[in-house]
Parts: sequence; structure tokens; C-alpha cells
Amino acid sequence: MAKKFKMTKVEDRSVGTKVKKGILGTFLNLMLILFSLTCIFPLVWMFYSSLKEKRAFNADIIGFPKSPTLLNYKRILENTDYHLGSSMFNSFRTTLLSVALIVILGFIVGYILARIKFKMNRPLYLMFLMGMLIPVHSLLVPIYVVFNNCGLSNKWFTLIIPYVAFGLPVAIFLVEGFVKGIPTALEEAAAIDGSSFSRTLFQIIMPICRPIMTTIAIIQTFSCWNEFSFALILIKSPKLQTVPLAMTQFTGQFASDYPKIMAAMLLTMSPIVVLYFCFSKQIIKGMVAGAVKG
Amino acid sequence: MPNAIKPKKSVLFAYLIIPVVVFVFAVFVPLVTALVYSFFQWKGGPVKTFNGLTNYITLFKDSTFWLSFRHNIFLVLVCIVGQIGIAFIFVLMINSKLVKLNGIHRTFGFFPSTVAAVSIGFIWKMIYDYNRGLINWFLDKIGRGDLAQVWLNNESLVMLLVAIPLVWQWIGYYMVILLSAISSIDQEIFEVAELDGANAVQRAVYIVLPLVKNTILVCVTLCIAGNMKAFDNIYVMTNGGPGTASMVMAMYGYQVSFQQQNMGYGSAISVGIFVLSLLVIGGSQWLIGLMTKKSDV
Repeated sequence: MAKKFKMTKVEDRSVGTKVKKGILGTFLNLMLILFSLTCIFPLVWMFYSSLKEKRAFNADIIGFPKSPTLLNYKRILENTDYHLGSSMFNSFRTTLLSVALIVILGFIVGYILARIKFKMNRPLYLMFLMGMLIPVHSLLVPIYVVFNNCGLSNKWFTLIIPYVAFGLPVAIFLVEGFVKGIPTALEEAAAIDGSSFSRTLFQIIMPICRPIMTTIAIIQTFSCWNEFSFALILIKSPKLQTVPLAMTQFTGQFASDYPKIMAAMLLTMSPIVVLYFCFSKQIIKGMVAGAVKG
Repeated sequence: MPNAIKPKKSVLFAYLIIPVVVFVFAVFVPLVTALVYSFFQWKGGPVKTFNGLTNYITLFKDSTFWLSFRHNIFLVLVCIVGQIGIAFIFVLMINSKLVKLNGIHRTFGFFPSTVAAVSIGFIWKMIYDYNRGLINWFLDKIGRGDLAQVWLNNESLVMLLVAIPLVWQWIGYYMVILLSAISSIDQEIFEVAELDGANAVQRAVYIVLPLVKNTILVCVTLCIAGNMKAFDNIYVMTNGGPGTASMVMAMYGYQVSFQQQNMGYGSAISVGIFVLSLLVIGGSQWLIGLMTKKSDV
């Protein structure tokens, strides 16, 4: 055994440490693989179980289906009483509109608060900052009361209001921080060239802010699609239910028919799952950036 | 700030009015409403009677409310240790350079945090189920079928059982946040430490931990805020039961207000949740501030 001393590669020093490292490495790899598998297992389990009939599932909850069938999917999609299709449409509409509004309004307000000097600048900044500190769940009851009194509950646009209101603060702070990092020279030049405030805002600043706006859109898409408590208290009509709400009703109805519940869950999760696995890198990056800065 | 880019007042007003109105309407108006109604006896009908501080006195003596507050704190503590602790250990493992498939661990591990808490609740409800649950199936397979039970009906275990899905769901999330913090550290630091003979534990405690301390504190803050508002998966899994064994504050407020139609007292509970959450979050922030200050000196 030639004893070569390498400064940077300590692990090469002897066979003994090499073996030790090997065992340790295998162990660490196994641990993490196990963890990753548990994260993905429910999805896989639900998928192949949803291809079973109730009877087959109850006989063997873990085995692969012997005669896979799409009957569960057919049943839940054909019966309009379950409102799965309409709930997905509602969730799409609510999420899309909320996210668009949050991104646009957050961008405008964030930019103004970062750049324009006016009397209300700091008070507004503090107001939105408070919005991040206020515990949302303590507002469930009063929001229900206010929305009911104003006749705003149980409409197709109802949920957009709280989603936008509670999504705005984070969006504003992300944009504000981002805009502060852009040199003002750009806007000055535009102003000298005769560009109006609005034109500068949308044609010059907005393209620069695209990365931070994407981050906001990613965070808010997931939080709007998954939001449950506001939907629970503000939406009563089954036709207006969003996905999480429809799922709670659905599982109540079919508490014992697991394959059917699994089929419904997979179906309603599918847009998010597909989105996630197609763009996981960007999504993870965006969510982490949002969490740490927000 | 140059004057050249300053818009007219009217333009500014036009841009700000919509977001400000929406925000005030959905955040501050309800806040004031809750405060007002908390002084009334109001069962959801048209009759509201002013009853002064009665609701607050009831709230103060309401053992269920304080029990649910303790449950929230329990969740916070379990999740700080479980989520961030385990995430940190995983990060150390990945950082050791011995682990392969990092990209897959990242993608798969992060995945549960993107799923609705409601769906996570359902999945775990199925896992805990008596007849068709995976846990009882597993116990049966290893010959310990005698240990099988209706898990979520076990009063002494139920809080831990509802905490497990929460921990599991967010480990990957914090793991990825910590990984991104570590990747910004110069790798030479670890190599030098290894050369100097620091073992894995020493490297973790004396090098990695101080360097990612601020990120960990951000995670702790997120974790506290997240668990003070625990509601969705408890609503799905246990509805606060059995009895009040897994009641959390938001769940209790919901039950009192909407299932018992006691809106006046529900408003008082809302104010209670508001104050307690702010106290816990503010208190933890203060502690964190104290800790970071010390390290700067």
C-alpha cells in the first residue's frame, strides 16, 4: 500500500476508514431513500389502489390490483352529485384570478412603496406589514360575519377577496425588496425620455421584476389551490365548492369506500401533482425564496 | 429619490385604492367586528344583547379553550423538534458527500408540502384506520396484531398521531431551505475542518449550526406561525375529538361559532386566539432577537 499523502482527500488515508465510510455511506443513503419513499408512497399507493374495486381493496389493502379497472374514476366523474368536476372548475377559477390579482397588485403596491415618496408611504407599509403578523385563523369567525352582512358570502368570487387580501402582504414585501435592488437610473432615463409613470411601470419595471413575480405566483398558486378554512366558512352551495371542501363532503359520503375516495383525491390533486413534477426545480426554488425572504 | 419618476397624486391614488380597500375590508374590518361582537351575547340570530365582559370571563375560565391552546403549543414544540430537527440531520447527511440521488431526495421530500393539508389528513386517516389502515396491517404482518387499535380514538395518543402527519409533511420543506442555506457556505470550510480532525458531530455543532443559525431561526418562526393556526388536517382527521382530546384553538373557535351557533362567544374566542398567537409569535421573535444579538457581540 503506497502511502501517498494528499492534502485535500482525507478519506483516502487508509483502507480501514474507506470501509467505515462505505458502511456509513450505505446507511445514510438507505435512510434518505427510505424517507423519500415515504414521501412518495401515499401517492403511489393511492394510485394503484384506486384501480381496485372496493371488495378487492378490503381483502388486501397493500397488494397491486389483480384486475385493474377504471370503474371508480368513471363512477365519480359521471355522477354530477359529487360536484368533483365543478369543484375543480371553481378551484381553477378562484386560483387563477386570485394569483393574477395578487401578482399585479402586489407588484404595483410593492413598487410604489419602494420608490415613491409620499405622506402615506410608511403608514401603508406598516399596515401591510401588520397583515403578515395577524394570525389569519383568528379572523375566520369575523370574516364570516362581515361577508354575510355585506351579502358577499357564497358567491363565485367570494373566496378571491380573502385570498387576495392575505396574499398581498408577502407579495408586496417580496416586490419591494426586489425593486430596491434595481438602480433608479433606468426610471430616470425613461422619465427624461418622456415616458409616463404607468408606461415606465409596466413596460420597463415589470419585465425586470419577472423573477420575483414568478416566485409570488408559484407560492400563491399552491396556497390558493390548497386553502380550506375560508372556503369552509364562506361557501355553502355545493356548486361553488372548491376542491378541498368538495373532498371533505365526498369522504363523508363514502367513508368506507377507500378506492373511490382515493380516485377522487388523485383526480383533484392531479393538477398540482403534474405542475409540481414538471417544474419541481423552479417551484422549490420559488417557494424557498419566498419563505426565507417573507 | 428623484422627482422625475414621481407620478401625480391622482395616478397614485388610482393605483393604490383597490389593494388598500380589499386589504382593509378583509383584514381590519373583521378584526374590529370581532372586537365589537365579543361584548355581545349573540346566537347567530337577529338578537344581540350587550353583556359586557361576560364572554371574556367565560373564556378565561373555559378549560377547553386553554386545553386547545396547550395543544397548539404541543404541536409547535413537536414540530420544531420533529420537522426542523430531522430536516437538519438529513441536511448533514446530504452534506457529508456520501449520499447520492440528492436531486431525487429534494424533489420527493419537498412534494408533501405542496399537497393540501386536507388531503394529507385524509391519507393519514386511512393509514390510521382500524380495518383497512396500514398501521394495523403492518402490526398484523409482524405478528403483533394484538397491538392494533382504533388509533385516532386513543385519547392519550391522539395529539401525537395528528402531529406525525404535520411533521412528515414539512420535513422536506425545511430540509430544502436548510440545504439552500448550506450550499451558500464555502465548501472549503468543511474540508479544512475535516483535515483538522473534527468529527461529524463536532462539524455539525461547531461549524454547520452557527453558519445556518439564522436560517434555522427563520424556520422556527415559520414553524411556530404554521402550527398556531393548525386546523385543516385536524378538522379532517379527528374534528377535535375524541371529546376534546385533539382540540386546537382554531378548531374550537370554529365549533363554538358554527356548530353551536354561538357567534358572540366565538368572537371572543377569535380575539383570544388573536392575542395568544401574537403573544407566542412575538415572544418567540423577542427570544430569537435576543439570541442573534448575543452572537453578534
